[in-house]
Amino acid sequence: MNALDLLFLLSGATLLCALLFGRTRWAAPLLLLGYAAQFVALLQTNALFGEPISLSWSLVVLDQPMHWRYDALSWFFALITLGAGFLSTGYGSGVWMRDYERAGHSAGVLHTALAANVFSMVLLVGAEDFLSLFLGWELLNWATFFLMALRGGIAARAALRYLGYAFTGGMAILGAMALLYAQAGSLEFQPIRESLPQMSDGQLWVLLALLGSGFGIKMGLLPFHLWQAPAYAETPGPGSAFFSAVSARMGLYAMLVFFVGMVGLARLVQMEIPYTFLNGRDLLAWIAVFTIIFPTYTALQQQDARYLLAWHGIGQGGYMVLGVLVGTAEGSAGGLLHIFNHAITQVALLMAVFAVLYRTGTTDLNRLGGLVARMPLTFLTLLFGIISLAGLPPMAGFVSKLLVYRALLFEGMPLLFVGAIIGTLGTILSVYKLIHNIFLGQLRLEHESVQEAPLSMLIPMLSLSLLIFLAGYFPGPTLSWVAAVQAQLGLPVVNYHLGGVYDAHGGFNMIWIVSVLLAGFGIGALVFFGLGGPSKRVHQLDNYAGGHFLYAENRYQYSDHFYAGLMHLIGPWYRGSFQWLERALGSIVDFLAHFTNGFYGIAQPLLWSLAAVLGIAVWVF
Amino acid sequence: MLPLILPVVLPLLAAFLVMPLARMSALIARALGPIVLTTSLVLLLPCCLDPPAQPLVLAIGNFAPPLGIVFYGDRLALLFANAVALFFLLFWDWRGGNPQQARQDALMLLLAASATGLALSGDLFNLYVFYELAAVASFGLVSLSGTGPALVATVRYLLVSAFGSVLALAGIALLYLQTGTLNLAQLGIDPEPLQGPAGLLAFGLMVIGFGVKAELFPLNYWVPEVYASAPARISALLAGLISKLAVLILLRLLVLVYGDTAAPQILLFLGILTIFFGEFSAWRAQDFPRMIAFSSIGQLGLVFIAFSLSGSWGVLAGIAVALHHLLVKSALFGLAHRWSGSLQALTGSAQRTPLAAALFVLFALSLIGVPPLPGFWTKILVLAGLAQEGSALAFTGLGAILLVTAVEAHYLFRFALQLYEKVENAPAGFRSFWEFLPSLLLGAALLAVTLRINPVADRLRAITQQAADRSFYITQVFPQAAAHRKDQP
Repeated sequence: MNALDLLFLLSGATLLCALLFGRTRWAAPLLLLGYAAQFVALLQTNALFGEPISLSWSLVVLDQPMHWRYDALSWFFALITLGAGFLSTGYGSGVWMRDYERAGHSAGVLHTALAANVFSMVLLVGAEDFLSLFLGWELLNWATFFLMALRGGIAARAALRYLGYAFTGGMAILGAMALLYAQAGSLEFQPIRESLPQMSDGQLWVLLALLGSGFGIKMGLLPFHLWQAPAYAETPGPGSAFFSAVSARMGLYAMLVFFVGMVGLARLVQMEIPYTFLNGRDLLAWIAVFTIIFPTYTALQQQDARYLLAWHGIGQGGYMVLGVLVGTAEGSAGGLLHIFNHAITQVALLMAVFAVLYRTGTTDLNRLGGLVARMPLTFLTLLFGIISLAGLPPMAGFVSKLLVYRALLFEGMPLLFVGAIIGTLGTILSVYKLIHNIFLGQLRLEHESVQEAPLSMLIPMLSLSLLIFLAGYFPGPTLSWVAAVQAQLGLPVVNYHLGGVYDAHGGFNMIWIVSVLLAGFGIGALVFFGLGGPSKRVHQLDNYAGGHFLYAENRYQYSDHFYAGLMHLIGPWYRGSFQWLERALGSIVDFLAHFTNGFYGIAQPLLWSLAAVLGIAVWVF
Repeated sequence: MLPLILPVVLPLLAAFLVMPLARMSALIARALGPIVLTTSLVLLLPCCLDPPAQPLVLAIGNFAPPLGIVFYGDRLALLFANAVALFFLLFWDWRGGNPQQARQDALMLLLAASATGLALSGDLFNLYVFYELAAVASFGLVSLSGTGPALVATVRYLLVSAFGSVLALAGIALLYLQTGTLNLAQLGIDPEPLQGPAGLLAFGLMVIGFGVKAELFPLNYWVPEVYASAPARISALLAGLISKLAVLILLRLLVLVYGDTAAPQILLFLGILTIFFGEFSAWRAQDFPRMIAFSSIGQLGLVFIAFSLSGSWGVLAGIAVALHHLLVKSALFGLAHRWSGSLQALTGSAQRTPLAAALFVLFALSLIGVPPLPGFWTKILVLAGLAQEGSALAFTGLGAILLVTAVEAHYLFRFALQLYEKVENAPAGFRSFWEFLPSLLLGAALLAVTLRINPVADRLRAITQQAADRSFYITQVFPQAAAHRKDQP
């Protein structure tokens, strides 16, 4: 039995544990142990820097072999999956779960759903043929649906919407599989890889459309993104954090495997779109840019912190795709690195928001404020998170975005660069709204007695914050993983060092950047405290606005209608973008259903048999 | 030879005996049906589990094939004959207490006899007779409750069946005009006269005619009405079993006579329309039996599409899809027994009967083809076959299947979520799991197949190999004719 067998076995065992003991008291330690053991087994595989490792068992069903193999790419995604599973379970294991159970929900079901998600992802990222890929894909889809639907009500409706999208995507993938099988005579990756160069551009476009939309739906690429934000936001806390870290990225994983690993970027560039200046890669890159812009500005409009973050999750996916599509060592490193950096960022942010929800009972951005005085550590986590999400130094998100920006500029893609920057602008604006409306400003009366988040939630939050900072200060280790993944995918490999990268334009060193930044703060602090630290503690409600003093009895609310001026300018541009597409499709299905039902309402046996006979006679003669 | 003849004759005899017996002793009359069916099962099961190398061929009364009645029991036919006995036992009215018990038992036995006959006959005329017999028995069963809607549905069903039978008979007559025989094997010896327009027209007429029972578009609008008003057990048998037996007739014709012609295109075209109309109608269904009735139409469209694929791939795919649907749809109708009301009224049913709801989810998952459940493997067989076919119509079929499966997943799980919704005053549903025992057993069978998919696939291949081999069929029925044919240059 090799390390990969062990990993699969442990993953299955964890799922079984959740199923059997999920509702007992020792569920959380048992599951944490399970995820930790899987993590150790993953490290044991040594698939990142060593040789790829195959599962000892394989299946043959209907003459089609199904086997699993871990390479650097699988390792990278499995690492994020297991890490997210571990931290989310830890976050939701203590008081959070007691609260959840008190609300009438079942801990066992939640644990099982989460473990099922982890298990199917572990299975999925090891797929070495389309059958096992599809098996993992569908298991994941249903496990996801299961976890989303747990809370019932709005969550169940969002889950059903997800199912509509995801299952349609699954069918598109199945269609592509049938076409690939007809072309290559096999569903294994190797024969397909060999037969792809022989396929015509037309055939590839069909595959691109089918697989691109199938995988893109999971990823939340435009125009298939509408399901994601409500579904992720309404999932119970640990599940929501887990989803935003890694679930949507499985779509990216599959895209990397097929479009980068098999078809290759060079072939995408050759696929010209007639009558335009675009080729296949440009098309995907523009889809990625619009995926950055639209969801990010939709996030800006949200009034619920969970929804705001979930919308950002969609937008950030665009940077990853964009970076990989640039195809240079730096660009693809940026895109791949952003998968990891965004995962840790988003998990930390959602954990902070769910901690606020746990303590105050709401995530409505108009009903919060001033919590920094009550939940300073949660504030700190959120602060680290939003700096990273907005892609500002010194946090992790800056490194990956910087790599993408540099690649776009140096490769001569200024329009895409501008698109990415517009997205970042929207991110900065909306994360400021997030931190301001929750933590800054005036503390509301009903939150006077709110306490800091409990320790079981703080530990994962703070360790993630530390990780976000370290991954920004010393990006070397994460870059080394990314370099291994690049080599695996056949992309140019980035030349990295502990603090950053070297490239033709000199590269950058985060250690310097962050140190200078910190030194700046240090000097500021020295000056400040050198002058004796002139400060005066006042009550939080001792405040003024527009030259008038405001006292505790004058409540004012400035989080409502945030960015009123900006919205006055850009508000008219939001016209329910893409909602129309979904509604149109829904209406078409409804219309067709009406039509077919109408047929069953007309009971005219003579008419129909006559028509059928006539039809056949016409066809025959 | 007993396994061929007794499963047809015994239920037929018993069907006529039940009514007189019931006047003497209700108990014996009640026991007769199960005893007869069990006997059939005991006779057939060994042939199915450990099939003889050669098919069983029986010329009744020792009249040589073209003249007499021929029964042909290859692995496929025996499997279906077996399924008839098994499913009739599963969906037998064990509880009793029906005021018209004896009449119901008689009709059930009549249906069982004719269904077995449909599986085993090797002659178009006999097939037609058994088909009509099955139709008559099912009219009686469907209208048994005597309620207004049931009677209205039965009259519609009767009318449309009558039109279908006329068309099928016209097709058979046309065939006879061309060849002078109705023995399937003899038709297969020299299919050329039938491969012209007249022969194809005959096939088309038979497709439409036999398609009535097989829920084929366009003569299938009786389906939702009948299944919604008939007892759930009867719907399970009609939708699961009888529909497949009608398809079996067309399969034999296709393999023996029309394999190399454009005939499969008719099946493909009508199959696409069937799947489209069935699944889209189910989207708007308001009650549970109607929803699964429409879904059943859609699934039979898939069966037709599968059988339209060329060569043994099509036969394999078709048999696999048909058997999967037989299992799953019967089981779903088994649940309709208590879940007969509107979908809205079933909200929250999972609270009282979690097992039944879980079964529904299991069957729904398999129905839409989620790996690793068997439904996935059957679906991928059809899809890969269509992609290999490569014609424009085949690609249309491919797209249609994928599209309607997405629709199907949506309406099935819209309902599943409704089942699991938390409500005050959850509907009572089933009183105990005895009430959905058949579904429970079928669910267990589905899981067993999932785990043992490869042995099952091998078994299906062996069945297909026999069923898809034209000359094999002919040699078995006419050893001398085949020898004679080989001598010809």
